[in-house]
Amino acid sequence: MSLRVIACFDELVRGGVNVQALLSAGASMAGSVAGYADEQSGRTLRVGPDGEALAPEEPAATDRVCKTEDGLSVWLEKAGPLAMNDEMILERLALSIGLRFGRNPPDGRRGLSAALDPDLPRPARAQLLCALGLRPTEQHRIVCLPLFATWRRHPHTVEDVMNTSFGPIHVAVVGSTADVVDARPCGVGAAMALEDLDRSFRTAMVCLRLCNPPAVPIVLADDYGGLVELLATSPAGPLLDVDPLDEIMAHPWGAETLDALIRAGSIRQAARLADVHHSTMQSRIEEIQQALPFDPLDGFGRTRIGIAYLVWRLPHSPVLSAPPTAQQR
Amino acid sequence: MCDADGVSSASGPLDGPDVRRPRPGFDAELRGGLALVGGMFPPTITPDLIDFMRTSYAGPPIEELLAGRAISVRDEVFPGHCGDEVIASVFTAEGVTGARPTVLFLHSGGLMFGDRFSGLDRVIEWVERWGIVLVTIEYRLAPEFPDPYPRDDCYAALEWLASDADRLGIDRDRLMVAGASAGGGLAAGVALAARDRGGPAIRAQLLDYPMLDDRGATPSTADFDGVGVWDRVSNETGWQALLGAAYRTEAVSVYAAPARATDLTGLPPAFIDVGSAEIFRDEAVDYAAKLWRAGGSAELHVWPGGFHAFDIFAPHAALSRGMIATRDAWVARVLLD
Repeated sequence: MSLRVIACFDELVRGGVNVQALLSAGASMAGSVAGYADEQSGRTLRVGPDGEALAPEEPAATDRVCKTEDGLSVWLEKAGPLAMNDEMILERLALSIGLRFGRNPPDGRRGLSAALDPDLPRPARAQLLCALGLRPTEQHRIVCLPLFATWRRHPHTVEDVMNTSFGPIHVAVVGSTADVVDARPCGVGAAMALEDLDRSFRTAMVCLRLCNPPAVPIVLADDYGGLVELLATSPAGPLLDVDPLDEIMAHPWGAETLDALIRAGSIRQAARLADVHHSTMQSRIEEIQQALPFDPLDGFGRTRIGIAYLVWRLPHSPVLSAPPTAQQR
Repeated sequence: MCDADGVSSASGPLDGPDVRRPRPGFDAELRGGLALVGGMFPPTITPDLIDFMRTSYAGPPIEELLAGRAISVRDEVFPGHCGDEVIASVFTAEGVTGARPTVLFLHSGGLMFGDRFSGLDRVIEWVERWGIVLVTIEYRLAPEFPDPYPRDDCYAALEWLASDADRLGIDRDRLMVAGASAGGGLAAGVALAARDRGGPAIRAQLLDYPMLDDRGATPSTADFDGVGVWDRVSNETGWQALLGAAYRTEAVSVYAAPARATDLTGLPPAFIDVGSAEIFRDEAVDYAAKLWRAGGSAELHVWPGGFHAFDIFAPHAALSRGMIATRDAWVARVLLD
């Protein structure tokens, strides 16, 4: 839920909504009145969980108030210590209202989002990541997950929700030993130095999109190395060899057969990997050969089919639209 | 889940680089709401998600709905399609007696999920505020109970209310059918059936972002794949579950898919609201236009940047409050003393 809170306020800030909209979102999530007072303008606004503005009043002594140095007070009208989720709502609400009045850093992004921005100079990025508590001498990986990912183990780490062209994505920095995250679906980026974590982020996004749960819940950049970085930097335009795959992937056996064919060294081994009879594999491969303008078993044909298969999967990735099933919840 | 920008193209983020027709983006405040909705109500609902949705979209416990309200509720049983017993909950304001204006409410849930307490927060306020009688029924759901079960259960409810009006405290002259989404389509179908069968008089029909057309041919239906709430694929899942082999054929009844009706004369005044950024936009606008061309009364509101059922999922947003206030004003105008 806390990540959804972050994602919600990110959307609101990006959309440039007004203070009443920010307060009503906070009030709605917390289920209590949310208010703010600004010493500079003398303005006070209180909003109920239904989004309606209420009479301006000072917060009660028992309310948890978040004050900034420049005279902005934001509060939730809830007595007693707040639950963790309410603390998060209050923190994000105060941050968002501060941004609305231009009192936070100019680009409005939090640390991790800026630290992974390739347009920022490398030393500046490393500096931001050090400020987040990461050790400059160690290698790290970025992991990327959809907001609805299920976590079996959630390490205490630098993490955030970032807006990407694929929607809001949960992004975390982990150590170079990739087994620290057990969550699915999840793309695990390549291990890099701090100033290169933007590259790790891009590889992690490609890996996430290569996931295909439940069969393939986690994809590691290390399994594909330079291939995955090529995919991360290649333009999204059309690519020779990819279109003919539509016909093959339309078969119920298409994906598993191509997968086995690419991984295997021989037709016999491919048949074993796909768990089908040798003759079945043989006839499927013949059909694949007919659909392609090159022989996927010969020379560079092997490389071409491997790359085409990965490129085809990216725009067809089910992972970011797949909701949790009842069992996962 | 969310658009990267306010303005976006009809190709979803995973559709690759092909650029398609531009479509309205979501309202900025509603985008924040969508970030919260995502896991509970996925944009794309396929048949294997029906069970998940039946859990996820179940109505709140009745105690929660009634908490702090001076409202009584009792369950009744009436004969539905084939005379089978169907449950109805009848909500009345405490201390209010005599024949009252009555709303027959048909819940949302894509014809496959939801129950008679789903999405009830707004309409239940009318009971306390205006002393109306609110009747919400457990019409049976597809695919287990395909057409005509759902619509005939709904029509049977109308006949039951009219025939038992005195005992139930219903003013026969002020009976409104109302529904949201799938319930909106069912409400429109009930109004058509009542006209054609010489059934009970209906004072007005309230159609919130109604699901009217199984044919899926409008531009807006194609424009919102994989985003928002209730996309093209979800809609196909719902209609196929309801109609089975008849889906998208001439065999589909106009009472199941009222957009197929060619004659919209002689229908009660309609209120239709819908978001500009949802698949039902065009069929809702078309239905209002057909009502006008048939000499009928229709009030149409298209809320800019609204996703499907945004008033249910983000009631605190300014656009939602506008939608709710506008709708309430119409109900007060057509139904109250």
